[in-house]
Amino acid sequence: MKKYIVFSLFSLFATLSFAQIDRTQPPKPGPAPQINLEEPTRFELKNGLKVMVVENHKLPRVSMQLIIDNPPILQGSKAGVSDLTSSLLGKGSETISKDDFYEEVDFLGASVNVSDQSASASCLSKYFPRILELMADAALNPNFTQEEFDKEKERILTNIKSEEKDVSAIASRVQLALAYGTSHPYGEITSEQTVNSVTLADVEKHYRDYFVPANAYLVVLGDVEFENVKTLVTQYFTPWSKAVPPSYSYAKPKDVQYNQINFVDMPNAVQSEVAVQNITELKMKDPDYLNALLANRILGGGSQARLFQNLREDKGYTYHAYSGIRDNKYSPMRFNAGAQVRNTVTDSSVVQILSEIDRITKEPVTQEELTNAKAKYAGNFVMALESPETIAEYALNIETEDLPKDFYKTYLERLQAVSIADVQNAAKKYFSTSNARVVVTGKGSDVLENLEKVTFNGKAVPVLFYDKSANKTEKPDYSAPLPEGVTAQSILEKYIDFIGGKDKLEGVNSYAMIAEAETQGMKLELEMKKTTKYQFLQDIKVMGNSVQKRVLDGDKGYAIAQGQREDFSEEEIEKVKEESAAFPELNYLAAGNITIEGIEPVGDRKAYKLKITDKKSCFYDTETGLKLQVVNIEEIQGQQITNTLGFHDYQEVSGIKFPFKLVQTAGPQNLEFTVKEIKVNEGVEATDFE
Amino acid sequence: MKRYLVSAIFMLLIINHLVSQEVDFEEYDLDNGMHVILHQDNSAPVVTTAVMYHVGSKDEDPQKTGFAHFFEHLLFEGTKNIERGEWDKIVSSNGGNGNANTFLDRTYYYETFPSNSLETGLWLESERLLHPIIGQIGVDTQKEVVQEERRLRVDNSPYGAFFEVLLKNLYTKHPYRWAVIGSLEHIASATLDDFKNFRDTYYVPNNAVLVVAGDFEKEKTKKMVSDYFGPIPRGAEIKRTVVVEDPITTTRKATYYDPNIQIPAILLAYRTPGQAEREAYVINMISTYLSDGESSKLYKKLVDEKKIALQIFSVPIDAEDYSSYVVGGLPVGENSIQDIKNEIDAEILKIQSELISERDYQKLQNKFENNFVNANSSVSGIANSLAENYMLRDNTNLINTEIDIYRSITREEIMEVAKKYLKVNQRVELEYLPEQKEAN
Repeated sequence: MKKYIVFSLFSLFATLSFAQIDRTQPPKPGPAPQINLEEPTRFELKNGLKVMVVENHKLPRVSMQLIIDNPPILQGSKAGVSDLTSSLLGKGSETISKDDFYEEVDFLGASVNVSDQSASASCLSKYFPRILELMADAALNPNFTQEEFDKEKERILTNIKSEEKDVSAIASRVQLALAYGTSHPYGEITSEQTVNSVTLADVEKHYRDYFVPANAYLVVLGDVEFENVKTLVTQYFTPWSKAVPPSYSYAKPKDVQYNQINFVDMPNAVQSEVAVQNITELKMKDPDYLNALLANRILGGGSQARLFQNLREDKGYTYHAYSGIRDNKYSPMRFNAGAQVRNTVTDSSVVQILSEIDRITKEPVTQEELTNAKAKYAGNFVMALESPETIAEYALNIETEDLPKDFYKTYLERLQAVSIADVQNAAKKYFSTSNARVVVTGKGSDVLENLEKVTFNGKAVPVLFYDKSANKTEKPDYSAPLPEGVTAQSILEKYIDFIGGKDKLEGVNSYAMIAEAETQGMKLELEMKKTTKYQFLQDIKVMGNSVQKRVLDGDKGYAIAQGQREDFSEEEIEKVKEESAAFPELNYLAAGNITIEGIEPVGDRKAYKLKITDKKSCFYDTETGLKLQVVNIEEIQGQQITNTLGFHDYQEVSGIKFPFKLVQTAGPQNLEFTVKEIKVNEGVEATDFE
Repeated sequence: MKRYLVSAIFMLLIINHLVSQEVDFEEYDLDNGMHVILHQDNSAPVVTTAVMYHVGSKDEDPQKTGFAHFFEHLLFEGTKNIERGEWDKIVSSNGGNGNANTFLDRTYYYETFPSNSLETGLWLESERLLHPIIGQIGVDTQKEVVQEERRLRVDNSPYGAFFEVLLKNLYTKHPYRWAVIGSLEHIASATLDDFKNFRDTYYVPNNAVLVVAGDFEKEKTKKMVSDYFGPIPRGAEIKRTVVVEDPITTTRKATYYDPNIQIPAILLAYRTPGQAEREAYVINMISTYLSDGESSKLYKKLVDEKKIALQIFSVPIDAEDYSSYVVGGLPVGENSIQDIKNEIDAEILKIQSELISERDYQKLQNKFENNFVNANSSVSGIANSLAENYMLRDNTNLINTEIDIYRSITREEIMEVAKKYLKVNQRVELEYLPEQKEAN
């Protein structure tokens, strides 16, 4: 009985208390939260270093940041010197070796980083004095050594090299270079040549010139006492000699006179990088700063924005489409809208992006778009306040960007006050569809034909051509007419004659080759043997262990991969038989069914393209006649993958010219084999094919 | 019921006394069994709402792996009151952000908002639990998405399969033996009823903890919590059987070929105690000792001095029933994975046979103190720790006391634990090798 009463009382209570909410509508947000913005306390050293201290005792930790607010630095013929300087900093000091420095920082559970225009550190508050001292020591008394310099230079050169075929890296380099010009700090190109011209002395000079206190700010944040910070900073940073960085002028970036496509040909591209860009002059202190940010957000600032909705959700051209606007007090900046798109929709994507930019300048945005964009900015602003770094960042911006003192106090108010008309005016002012530079980086032979037909607002958009270093160049020539008398047969004959002649080649009964490749420190060995009796052996070893082996002996054969042996199917036997020919051109010539498909560029050469089968073509140099590459299209798990084998460095063995360098490219993988040994009519036993 | 109330009040009192430290919180149960943890911190106008469900890949039927993770995707597909595709819009139009994740033992959903949208967070999470729409459209869409995710994270990602392969070798009976993302075939062949059953079993309030952390008023929030979550009916008790593994007594050797890599790796994996055990904390210290930072033992010796390894790593992977500890490396140049194995073994042998130095011990203490302080720097991080400590370590207050465990671990204990768990014959040795495409 008693139990029952308790129970029913409880359920009554429960019903009463749950009855009042309406679940069918999202709850209305409460009144906007109060924003509490603290002010940092400040002091300045005689050398010009300005210090801000934000005390926050919630957690026993401290972070410190040194920022040198210099104008952008033009590196010119020494481009790369900034990067090199940064990578040599923060590795000890004149009096502390690299090992001791790392050991001590690790021991204290802290972190310290220094680069050519900044430094930062974080630690528990009890170790603050020592970490501040270590950061100051590493930043002000660096230990530049030739040994570390050589190591870092090598690393930067390797990176530059690895980017040569990287479509995204080339695209962003050329986009910047075209927007700003290559003699502007934001547009200059770091190349193998410029890096090679940098010496240790240049690094030391770069550091001496620019790591100076004239425009420097030090922010100390966390569980500290102002007076203590003042004493320590004064002690460690007073030795920093007063100096001003050198200044110079450079041409102001400008928009193009008319809409144009700037095309960069990358024959290996499987997607096109499209960027529509123009120059803006936006500073944080401009009255329409927030209007411009909102216009950009509605156009291309995320997955709810128009570019994403149009190019991805609606059309499926791309995985991601975006736009970006930048403010800068020193220089006009680039506004860009773009995407990585499939080759076949390159021209359509250009038109769609231009149209979306055009629409936001010509038609008002909807109230819902504006409300949601404001909500996102307001939310980010409010939530950022959780991090004490925000207080410091805001105070720093007010100082360096010359903002009104109440810039952040009135931020939400000003954000809410932005109207639909304000957004449209900002779009008109900052986005251009009459002086737009459309940079397209992609595979010309696939995309150019349609790209040259692009019209926008009733006008043709001309295509201009640039190389990978943003220099003007000629239109790549894909359709050069075949010279009189050139046929598939004459190409094959020229090749056969050049490498040794038909008689010589027919006299080859067996052939053995050993080649080596190295990828990121690991050695691959390739052994291959062939005979005229449909015998074939291919063995790939990694560090001495066989990882893949394929063997054919007449009408039977097998493959071993991952330790598992599998016999060839009949289809596979036919395929390997084809591969077992030492000089397949002899067979092509005999078959007589090979067709010529035209002239295409291969690297910096031009080549005749011969179609061998639907999935295989060979390329022969138009001048020398040598075979430059074989392209196979393979199907792996339903995906078509292009596998290219390039031939270089032909050398003579037993009177026949063989390529001694083989470069295999499949997808992002690139393997460079160097032939160690080739034997003709020796070194092959019947047992090799068992 | 009465007794329950008393003890709950008593508990609250005690907790309030204990936690005059870094992270102050209050916890209680709703009548439907849902556990609630409130951490109030009004210093910034930010609030996180989060729900952790005690369901992970280990709760799956071996014939239906991948369900827990699939469910996480499905529960963004809309509810009775939230149309398909609206979820993200609601979160972002309130200026917030959110996401979810799934692991071996639990599934976690969260949103962070400016604090005036707290109620929206509670509404979203209660809708997710009360009446999600489990329909064919959502299932079909998410099947595609999860397949993409598997391709992105495992099949096309360098070294992406290592955890899956290790689990398979470390466990033979325990459901940790399959990967969280599970089998694409299982997901592809699953029926709508399978998913509904899974939901009815595990997505019940008595299997969940709700955390509200950040800027709010306590009484008002308790009222809202009970309004939104109180009416959700309690589910059946969940039967859990703990599977006990036989100890590994001889080294298990495994090989895996990854088409996405160029450099081989060696991975040595040990089965270690569940994450609530004191010994699991000792393993964490050993891991930091070996590989955290440029002056750590393995990094300094193998990467910096001898230049044998391009990279070395060691990771304790915490889980409820057993944890796994993985240590390994990638060779550089002519060096082999055997060279790396030898060096790692030599270093582990040292820990087993002599005490680590006083200075290294102090360094470890400093590092753990630093991690401890930084772990509690955002309300979203605090929410996650509170939920996990309550659900998987059975002690919410660990958020404040975990550091005491590390402080109390001695150098002798480090040696003992290394001896007990890091034996060569108790581990899996995985050779993770590049799969070479034919070169011609």
